[in-house]
Amino acid sequence: MKLIPTLPVDKRVDFGKGVNSLKVEIDAALQELISKLSVQPVSKVKAELFDVTLPGKPPFVGKKHPLTQTIDDIKEVFASLGFDVAYGPEVELEYYNFEALNIPADHPSRTDFDTFYIKDDVLLRSQTSTVQIRIMEKQKPPVRIIAPGRVYRPDTVDARHSFMFHQVEGLLVDEGVSFADLKGVLYQFIKAYFGQNVQMRLRPSFFPFTEPSAEVDISCSICDGKGCSVCSYSGWVEILGAGMVDPNVFKAVHYDAEKYTGFAFGMGVERITMLKYGINDIRLFYENDLRFLSQF
Amino acid sequence: MKISYHWLKEYVPFHLSPQELADRLTSVGLVVADIKPVEDDFCFDVEVTSNRPDCLGVIGIAREVAAIVGGSVLFPDTNFISTNTEISKTITVAVEEPLLCPHYTARVIHHITVAPSPEWMQKRLRCIGLRPVNNIVDITNYVMMETGQPLHAFDLDKVAEQKILVRRAISGEEIVAINGARRALFHDMLVIADGKKPVAIAGVMGGKETEISESTRNILLECAQFEPRQVRRTSRSLGIASDSSYRFERGTDHEGLDRASRRAARLIKDCSGGEIAGGAIHITSGIHEAKKITLRMERLHKLLGTEIKRDRTRDILKRLSFKILNDNENFIDVEVPGFRGDVYREIDLIEEVARIYGYDKIPAKTSVCVRGNTKGKAEIVEDTIRQFLTGLGFYEVKTFSIVDTTPLQSINIWSDRVGIDIANPLRQEESRLRTSLLPSLINTKGYNLNHGTEQIKIFEIAKVYLAEIKLPQEKNCLSLLADADFLTVKGIFEALLRNLGIVLQCEWIPFSESRLFRDGRAAKIQMDGSTVGYCGEASPALGFKAVSCLVEVDLDLVGEKANFTKKYQDLLQYPAVSRDLALLVNEEITWSPIEKCIMDTRVDFLKEVKSFDVYRGKQIPAGKKSVALNLCFQAKDRTLTGEEVDTAQQKIVDTLFRMLGAELRKA
Repeated sequence: MKLIPTLPVDKRVDFGKGVNSLKVEIDAALQELISKLSVQPVSKVKAELFDVTLPGKPPFVGKKHPLTQTIDDIKEVFASLGFDVAYGPEVELEYYNFEALNIPADHPSRTDFDTFYIKDDVLLRSQTSTVQIRIMEKQKPPVRIIAPGRVYRPDTVDARHSFMFHQVEGLLVDEGVSFADLKGVLYQFIKAYFGQNVQMRLRPSFFPFTEPSAEVDISCSICDGKGCSVCSYSGWVEILGAGMVDPNVFKAVHYDAEKYTGFAFGMGVERITMLKYGINDIRLFYENDLRFLSQF
Repeated sequence: MKISYHWLKEYVPFHLSPQELADRLTSVGLVVADIKPVEDDFCFDVEVTSNRPDCLGVIGIAREVAAIVGGSVLFPDTNFISTNTEISKTITVAVEEPLLCPHYTARVIHHITVAPSPEWMQKRLRCIGLRPVNNIVDITNYVMMETGQPLHAFDLDKVAEQKILVRRAISGEEIVAINGARRALFHDMLVIADGKKPVAIAGVMGGKETEISESTRNILLECAQFEPRQVRRTSRSLGIASDSSYRFERGTDHEGLDRASRRAARLIKDCSGGEIAGGAIHITSGIHEAKKITLRMERLHKLLGTEIKRDRTRDILKRLSFKILNDNENFIDVEVPGFRGDVYREIDLIEEVARIYGYDKIPAKTSVCVRGNTKGKAEIVEDTIRQFLTGLGFYEVKTFSIVDTTPLQSINIWSDRVGIDIANPLRQEESRLRTSLLPSLINTKGYNLNHGTEQIKIFEIAKVYLAEIKLPQEKNCLSLLADADFLTVKGIFEALLRNLGIVLQCEWIPFSESRLFRDGRAAKIQMDGSTVGYCGEASPALGFKAVSCLVEVDLDLVGEKANFTKKYQDLLQYPAVSRDLALLVNEEITWSPIEKCIMDTRVDFLKEVKSFDVYRGKQIPAGKKSVALNLCFQAKDRTLTGEEVDTAQQKIVDTLFRMLGAELRKA
């Protein structure tokens, strides 16, 4: 239409009319097309043709790793008991993994803690108890922490062993803390995590960094304590080790063992997760088969 | 450590069945991992922690039993008559390294006859998994298992120059151990040498050359104490470990050493016809002073968090062979027996008292902690939903419970009663408690549209208020609005249910509420016959340009059905077979009966059935539609054969034809 002024005057009217009618026609056609495209497909679908029973299109959903879920649950229970979360290095000085925890060199109890070494006095921590020492060196009592993380032991990998696994360490130090308090806290945790009806049993045991020491069993959740293959027909399964902090550990961090007492505990995250879900092979956690990960 | 039930009974009287004994030992810290019947005896596998080497002998376990049941330990007779030949005339012994070998004893027995050991002894050794060899070797093993003290017998006639020297190895020296291993020795290792060369690696293993053989006539019986770390280092660097090194590493009992030597000598005399030379060689360094510890009663009570009576405390310590030196209201002084090297501090005594008193008798206190709170199920349900939906890109919204009285807000899909009015509303426009969350979500969508946000995915968890006679029913609802079509949002809802552990199938029944939903594109959702919610594409009357879908669910009902106990299902190892079918069915037949019909054929290895397309078009006769579906077959225990799958598939096709008149569409 911009061309109209350039045309001879006598032709302008006809040309204008023609263009105009063309424009109307195109507009109409476009409108029709637009309405067809936008409205028609929906409006023309008759009500009875749509099948609401057809399966939905599944969305892509992801999940947290089951071990993360377990650690999160443990953190949550202990958060409600006033425990902070603490972390420490995984490549650690031998001192923090052993000496400070009352495990001297050439001590037979070192046999219980086979360890990967990087150098003479540098190793991959074989337990999260290392964090106890690092925290107590920095902080005066009261201390109330849990320390989740990866630990390493040169075990041959099989259904029960992995050279890398996870632990959660706990430590509470204050004036007047007793073995009865340890039992109280562990019982709270076990009931919150495994269920209100779960029974707990403590057996005397030995750890160099606690005295008295205990292994903690819970009634087997698979058979309700009646006896099955998971609990070796004893009705009990071991879930953690615990005890009162050994005075030698306090000495290493310059705490007054007469004034302060405390307890520590440690648990294997894989073991607890396996018990909770009836998982029979620790390797599944690290194979990361989505058919496995999607189950939790 | 393995022990025999009957052998144990010889040293301590008790009336406990094998299982009762196992439970009692476990409760004081000696975990019995296994009880195995062997012949007419029982073999106990006892886990002895590394701090308790005293329990690496039957007598040590007997002491624990005595402490549990309150008896006393009966020690075997170690008296014997010796000959006039003095030991000093047959052998000389010198210890060059008293720090590494604080105590060395030797006895000599002449004129022995090497033969099989008596049957009673062989039987006990077999019970604990040891292979009988001959009377001399068996006796040294037997006494080690009895007392926890390792012993070694040398063939005296093969000991060069009738001389024993406990010294460091000379670098470059070699030894062939009894197990046949040849090892080069280094200066940091301790050996037992004769006049010429090493005859044993101290505390680890004897040498082949001086080992007891059938021709052995005279023996030297060694019973010693070696420094634990030294034994451990040597054992590890040579790669040789033995029952002896296991015990020396953990520490042996200085006081019990001579008794073990006498016991072995006596047994050798009894079983081999030998004659014990007069006297014994004892080389000890330093004075072993008994440890004395004070236990403060107050400390005991404070640390354990419970009061254990003084009488009971004293009794426990006595039963554990601690000698009470002093004892008053405030403290107990004790002397530690030699076999308890692990007890040297007050805290160690506290553990001993707690252990025998019983950890189970100590109360579980909560004074230092607030009670651990556990989340209620409804809370877990809401947390799970929030995490799931936000993960899928939904925003959580909060809208007012008090709404206006427009026709949209008056929609009530849950009951036929009208909403509850506020008697004194702040504004006339907002005067009613809502009966559905959807109108508010629709308004939120409109608001965002006006502010330039075209695409939206939102949800709200809140209550709707359904009138009752006095107080209303406050129903917890979850509502979603997403710019997506029906099947996409249905898929999200189904995934949400799975995430809540709900495996129950929902029924989707066509539903119409033209103010909210597009006709024909909405459904009522039922579970177990009760309505749990509604889902549908937004009505064109709402004026949205793009397709939007709405869901409202009764969260109380859904939450009740949630199940968070998960059980791991084994991963299937055998391959799955997937088959696609296209069915020609009448237009009115929906997916639900097709699926049900397929599931009802109960083909046990049919893992999943999915519909992936519905097609109507030229090639399809009028009044019919083509439903494309996928069957997935997988067995737990084998790879499926093509024929098996063909047969199963045919069964499904036949059933579909018979029940629904569905025909297989020819390609």
